Amino acid sequence: MKFSYGWIRSFVDGLDVPAEALERLITMKTAECEGVENPSPLLANAAVAMVLSAEPVEGSNHLQKALIDAGQHGRRTVVCGAPNCRRGLRTIWVPLGFKTIAGIASDGMLASAAELGIGKDGNGIIELGETDEIPPADSVIEIDNKSITHRPDLWGHHGMAREVAAITGKRLLHPIDPATLPAPGGPVKVGIEDLTLCPRYSALVFENVTVQPSPLWLQHRLMAVGLNPINNIVDLTNFIMAELAQPMHAFDRAKLAGETISARPAREGEKITALNDEEYALTTSNLVIADGAGPIAIAGVIGGRDSAISESTTSIVLESANFNASSVRKTSAALRLRTDASMRFEKAQDPHNTVRALARALELLPMLSPGIRLVGGLADSHGPLQEPGRVTFDIDWAESKLGRSLSEETVTEILTSLEFGVQNAGGRKLDVTIPTWRATKDIAMPEDIVEEIGRMVGYDSIEPKPPLVPCAPSYDPPEREFLRRVRRMVASQGFTEVSNYSFVSEEDAKRFGLALEDHVRVLNPIAAGQELMRTSLLPGIWRNVMENARHLESFRLFEIGREIHKNAVGLPDERPHLAAAIFTKDDGRASLFELRRMAECLAVDLHVRPAEPRSWEHPTRCAELWWKGAQIGRLSELHPSLMESGRAAVVDLDLTLLLELAPAQASYTPVRKYPTSAFDLSVICNARERAGTLELEIRRYAGDLAEAVEYVREYEGAPLAEGRKSVSFRVVAGAADHTLTAAEITGVREKIIEGLTGLGYELRA
Amino acid sequence: MQDLLDSALARIRDASTAEELEAVRVEVLGRKGVLSALSKDMGKLSAEERVARGKLINTSKQALESAWEERRDSFERAALAKRLDAEWLDLTIPAPGPRPGSLHPVTQIQWEIEDLFRSMGFSVLDGPEVETEFHNFDALNIPPDHPARDMQDTFWLEGGNLLRTHTSPVQVRGIEKLGPPLRMIAPGRVFRNETVDTSHEHTFYQLEGMMIDRHVSVGNLIYFMKTLLGAIFKRDVTVRLRPGFFPFVEPGFELDIRCLICGGPGCPVCKQSGWVELLPCGLVNPHVLRASGIDPAEWNGFAFGLGLTRLVMMRYAIDDIRWLQSGDLRFMRQF
Repeated sequence: MKFSYGWIRSFVDGLDVPAEALERLITMKTAECEGVENPSPLLANAAVAMVLSAEPVEGSNHLQKALIDAGQHGRRTVVCGAPNCRRGLRTIWVPLGFKTIAGIASDGMLASAAELGIGKDGNGIIELGETDEIPPADSVIEIDNKSITHRPDLWGHHGMAREVAAITGKRLLHPIDPATLPAPGGPVKVGIEDLTLCPRYSALVFENVTVQPSPLWLQHRLMAVGLNPINNIVDLTNFIMAELAQPMHAFDRAKLAGETISARPAREGEKITALNDEEYALTTSNLVIADGAGPIAIAGVIGGRDSAISESTTSIVLESANFNASSVRKTSAALRLRTDASMRFEKAQDPHNTVRALARALELLPMLSPGIRLVGGLADSHGPLQEPGRVTFDIDWAESKLGRSLSEETVTEILTSLEFGVQNAGGRKLDVTIPTWRATKDIAMPEDIVEEIGRMVGYDSIEPKPPLVPCAPSYDPPEREFLRRVRRMVASQGFTEVSNYSFVSEEDAKRFGLALEDHVRVLNPIAAGQELMRTSLLPGIWRNVMENARHLESFRLFEIGREIHKNAVGLPDERPHLAAAIFTKDDGRASLFELRRMAECLAVDLHVRPAEPRSWEHPTRCAELWWKGAQIGRLSELHPSLMESGRAAVVDLDLTLLLELAPAQASYTPVRKYPTSAFDLSVICNARERAGTLELEIRRYAGDLAEAVEYVREYEGAPLAEGRKSVSFRVVAGAADHTLTAAEITGVREKIIEGLTGLGYELRA
Repeated sequence: MQDLLDSALARIRDASTAEELEAVRVEVLGRKGVLSALSKDMGKLSAEERVARGKLINTSKQALESAWEERRDSFERAALAKRLDAEWLDLTIPAPGPRPGSLHPVTQIQWEIEDLFRSMGFSVLDGPEVETEFHNFDALNIPPDHPARDMQDTFWLEGGNLLRTHTSPVQVRGIEKLGPPLRMIAPGRVFRNETVDTSHEHTFYQLEGMMIDRHVSVGNLIYFMKTLLGAIFKRDVTVRLRPGFFPFVEPGFELDIRCLICGGPGCPVCKQSGWVELLPCGLVNPHVLRASGIDPAEWNGFAFGLGLTRLVMMRYAIDDIRWLQSGDLRFMRQF
């Protein structure tokens, strides 16, 4: 939102703070300013000039050599290309030094309204009337719209002027005299179907209207705040909107059907062509302004083209209405049409403001359209208008909130300057009346008033004070330390942490064999490929591998992130997982064992079980990881079809399960007193027999006396037959209460041999 | 006799290999060696002669043994030196095994700040990334169609849920979980539906903080923020509060710190203003306390939101926010 410093100053009596300093004050006390600009830099040195003579320049078909009288600057010679440069023209000259044009030394320039930034006309140099003055140079303060979303009153200059007056301690001037408004009753009737959607609709009717360009001062004001001058009537509505935050609209009365204007929901199938020449198909959730024939405006958003002001307009209906904020916001969002009007109505404008705007129009119109006449009285339809809200404000309580002392005098002065009503309610309590323009959604409770006081006394006046808090240990969720431990451990094994998006594409989900219907879907994805919430970290890890493989020969990476799993009702489950990958260009064996070792650091003595290969896995290099009776994850090599080069081993672990299964604390058993004995066994089996399977069988037959069964090595080759191998284990046997006898040890050994032989294995001593 | 010993001593000293030395040892000092032989016929000698012979043998034995030990040690030293020399190793070749891993810069900064808050008695809480409309908006005093919802472009999910647009919902969840009085932070991933460019990401990290007690003032908030930011930036910082609109706090502030680069006079980092906008904060809005089930007449507090991602960018002077979610190890390994 752009604010003209000159415009603000016209409402603040004796404002002497320059724009740059004012910008800083507004930032500290009201809303965030984004800078001060000079919208019309040429204006500062411009002077009124009379063209004394204008002669064509030889050899040019459009240039003229003009002799001008620039008042106190004296006579100057200027080469001018404007077609309207002629003897006797009163125009504006800007001193810019000499420049040779067509061989003539041209002194400064004659400027168009557009060049000066005070009007839209750029076709020729500006033509001043006999009494026109050069508008004073202005500065524009840009305010961040986000910082005033809660302040409907700050969407107009008068509202900002009120803040400035309060900040600087000056008197606020009011541009409106409501007494000038005519008595109710007018040629048009207003019908409001739903007072919630349209709390108030006010209008005045004028005749003998002359549609013409606005005077320069008005065009200049509009240009300064980024509004485009169109004609005097449209400019008036924009001017009042920028001044009082009340959007207005003017209809050409001759183009309206009937004398009744209604505010009603659009009927199904209704259409309107708007001022921007776009046609909008309306639904019953859009509020429209309609005449006898149909919609003439989309309420609070934009007017219709067919009833728009044109050069032939001679009679107008001037609308000043109030519309429901969320209704306007929804319509504007649905039609994808945000206008200066809709932006203001969305902030919940004050219904009391409609007639103020009409009073201001009544004052301005005779200046803009001489001879204009008011027809009839004020059309004004509304429900019960809300009484100004009241809040009891306890100054002692406010002191405890702010952490500084406040005098009743200071509080009263601040609130009064912001046009709150203030009365003493006994002791250090005040009865505060909220102005209607702050009451629509901004201020309702004492805390809101604390903010008014705080910002005006200045937060820098508050002494920093340490809080008094209970001496108590903080609650620490176990997940936090666990996840930290996992991250540290994985990083210490050479893995680099990455962070991927929570989104996954349908394509990637399918690539990893994940059913699309299991995913939570994003209704408004920002880009293709981000339509699903991930149920696995692996697609992201795979992409990381592919991308890094372009730069690096080998690497290790991991991510800890949440899988999002759909629930029938309520929020989805968010399960933290660890996914890690090792990329190499070797045979890939070591990578898989490295990942398993890493998993074992988190789950000591985990079991590796054969897995049914998935489509994305190397069919003979995949396994399930089990721990304490639960599957905690999966270890595999990615299928070669997913790789451009090299191999990637991946592991995926469910950290929620790991945390659940991890012992809360270590448990101690006394170190054994009696020695153990060990013996080796070699089992001859098929080359693809898994050592893990053999180990389980050995454990099973060894019984309680076997303390450990350790894989030692395996061997293939002569004298073993083709397709056979020998796997050696070391069995450690012992008892807690005695040293095993030779017979007991032999017994263990024989049980194992007997068992394995029974299963069809051959044993080598 | 003496000649015999002298010659044995000479042979020990002259032995040129360990094997040669061993041969001499066996011949002279061995069980069947010369010295043994000399002591064998002692029985034939007279008592005096025996004493003299014994002495001679002992002295000779000591002399021979010590000569032998010396010689043996010198051979061992030489052998060790030879072995060690043969074990010459080029330690400049690359070490086998993986290079060191590293943690994501956001993780590192997050831990640093978590530790700081833990040291001040704060709990570190977590909240869901998929949130209800109630927790993300309504409970935070952002009713439907409130323009503040425009400030945060939201990813909507099927089923009416959404991806949290800020970590603020954990304010409500935190009060629900811990009850007053409390001190908590909630770091985490948040989402905004906006186009990604060098300074915008749809996925980034925030840290929510809140203190609820019986009497918490703006003065407490300023003190706390100054202490916290001093610890984060590891130097004394100057802060200022100015009005800022956030529906879940009242009054609400934007907190600026005095530019750490120029210290105030103005520079490109602070856009010549001398101040850098750092974080939004304020006193918790009574609506939020009520929505969380506690009585605003009894309890109040302050809340703030810290942009973790922004802090990471500031700390390391990262020029493009997209690196953080890129998964590119050329970037990640630098931390």
